[in-house]
Amino acid sequence: MQALAMRAEGLEKVFGEGDVQVRAVRGVDLEVAPGEVVLIMGPSGSGKTTLLSMLGAMLRPSAGRVEVDGVDLASLTEKKLPAFRARRFGFVFQDFNLLSALTVRENVELALNLAGVTGRAARERAEELLRDLGLGERLGFLPEKLSGGEKQRVAIARALANDPAVILADEPTANLDSKIGHEIARLLRRIASEEGRSVVIVSHDTRLKDIADRVLWLEDGSFRTMSDMATDPVCGMAVERDATTPHRVNDGLTWFFCSTACRDEFAADPDRFSASAEVV
Amino acid sequence: MRAVGAHVAVGRRNLFLERRRGLLGVAGTAAALLLVLAVGAVFDGAMRQITSYIDAQPAQVFVSQPGVRNLHMASSSVPLDAVDVIEAVPGVTSVDPILFAQDGLETEAGRRLAYVIGYEPGRPGGPAELETGTEPAGAEIVLDAATAASLGVDPGDPVGALGTSWRVSGLAGDLSNVANGVAFVRLDDFAAARELPDTASYLLVTTDRDPTSIVAAIEEATGLEATTHDAFARSERQLVSDMSVDVLRIVTGSAWLVGFAVVALTLYAATRSRLRDIGVLKALGASPAALSRVVLTQAAWSVGAALVAAAALTVGLGALLARTSSPVTLALEPGALLRVAAISVVVGAAASVAPLIKVSRVDPASVFRR
Repeated sequence: MQALAMRAEGLEKVFGEGDVQVRAVRGVDLEVAPGEVVLIMGPSGSGKTTLLSMLGAMLRPSAGRVEVDGVDLASLTEKKLPAFRARRFGFVFQDFNLLSALTVRENVELALNLAGVTGRAARERAEELLRDLGLGERLGFLPEKLSGGEKQRVAIARALANDPAVILADEPTANLDSKIGHEIARLLRRIASEEGRSVVIVSHDTRLKDIADRVLWLEDGSFRTMSDMATDPVCGMAVERDATTPHRVNDGLTWFFCSTACRDEFAADPDRFSASAEVV
Repeated sequence: MRAVGAHVAVGRRNLFLERRRGLLGVAGTAAALLLVLAVGAVFDGAMRQITSYIDAQPAQVFVSQPGVRNLHMASSSVPLDAVDVIEAVPGVTSVDPILFAQDGLETEAGRRLAYVIGYEPGRPGGPAELETGTEPAGAEIVLDAATAASLGVDPGDPVGALGTSWRVSGLAGDLSNVANGVAFVRLDDFAAARELPDTASYLLVTTDRDPTSIVAAIEEATGLEATTHDAFARSERQLVSDMSVDVLRIVTGSAWLVGFAVVALTLYAATRSRLRDIGVLKALGASPAALSRVVLTQAAWSVGAALVAAAALTVGLGALLARTSSPVTLALEPGALLRVAAISVVVGAAASVAPLIKVSRVDPASVFRR
């Protein structure tokens, strides 16, 4: 069985004491496999940001534990947490959070500097990542000159700089229009599928369900219902793993489809699609 | 050691992101440092000049009234009889009396305080060289060139001094300082003007031996004060320095306080305006040491740029003053610049304390908040 990229057990976070005590997160368990996209949704004030902060080693839990790449975050001293964050996590924020005084390349280079990569090595790695994301012509631009989509791509390049196992994204599409938001969503999906990184997204954006392997609903600090998603092997769309969804059993495996058309296409040549599709 | 350019220069770039604020901060600090450097340079320049008359004299020993070891604000009287006594001291080659008074030189253009020295033309005690004109004859006076320029007089013009009117016969090389000009008249004219027939103010002694070897002999023979040339000059500088030190301390202390306030405010404002960036850096994995480097880099740039600007302005101001007839001279000593640089480092570090505390308290999780 493949090792988990991230595991949280019994996570709790309590703020304040006595009458003003607030339990922002209550007994949350979460396992994220390499290459998996997990979408955490929920109403405002449900504890999503607090949960993400604990998963990202920015907030100590009041109880429970978080393991990333087999390392228990509680075993790390305050002094070691920054370096661990720099190397194991990539962060994508709603407001992009690019440093406005630095150019596009420098924003990515900075993340490398924080992990101990400096000089030419950092510059070349930054340029490579940005070119891969279609920003080769923007290397010397300041963030204020970029569109929203470009800024978020720079942020994603920064998140990928140190080859992290886990990407944590907080409302990555919130400040983007529909088309660009869809592009960013597909980019995050690609990062998970092609590079084997785990992506945990906190968002209100229901469009992100299309790219998520799992959708979790957080309310009042704990997960209420969980629904698994399957991937249509023909078109790659995420579909509910549900009896009402078009599906077919082939070689003992149940495949779910977005439509009967995809189901029929699969049935015509199952070997063509089942060899490359993810088995969930 | 990290190579230059190995890291992205976050501190510097953030400091000058808002260019106007960054430059204003540097300008304010530069103004404070300019005051410190300029006041020090004026003082050092004055110290160089204050003994220009003494330094120009060939005499190796100055004989004066007991207890007197300088010219400035001193009153010294020695009997002319002592000349013969001193000439008899083994090793003494010549003895030349001078009369000395601090008096106001008056012309139609104004008044200026000066050392007025009566000497025997052709003998030690007068100007080392003349820029123009001749040594004074009867009822004539030689002025230092800067004093003459400030009074608007040329050779041939009248000047009032010692209660008498004199005709300018020549101009001497620059002997004046910020406080006094220097003027020369004949010894007998001076004595007549002040009714001092049998006294001198100082006796200038030359010797063919080590001056320290005849000082004791002169004092024993005459009962007067004998001081070597170097000690006399040193004493003169010390007196003026002692008179000025309190004022200097107040002025430079005030300037340092202003400089500290400007640097501290600039750094604090720069940090406060970029707190979200600090949160992002922490979230991305910046260590406390890395964040401290950001703040300290900003302090170094603020203070360093200001120091360079202030030093350049001080040198420029000195060059400008040298083109005028002002008796003020700015002498920027390397030691003074190093001292100011060292104190600037301390000021920059102290000004970084509040921003460092602010930075340490930023919660990295705050980057998730809108």
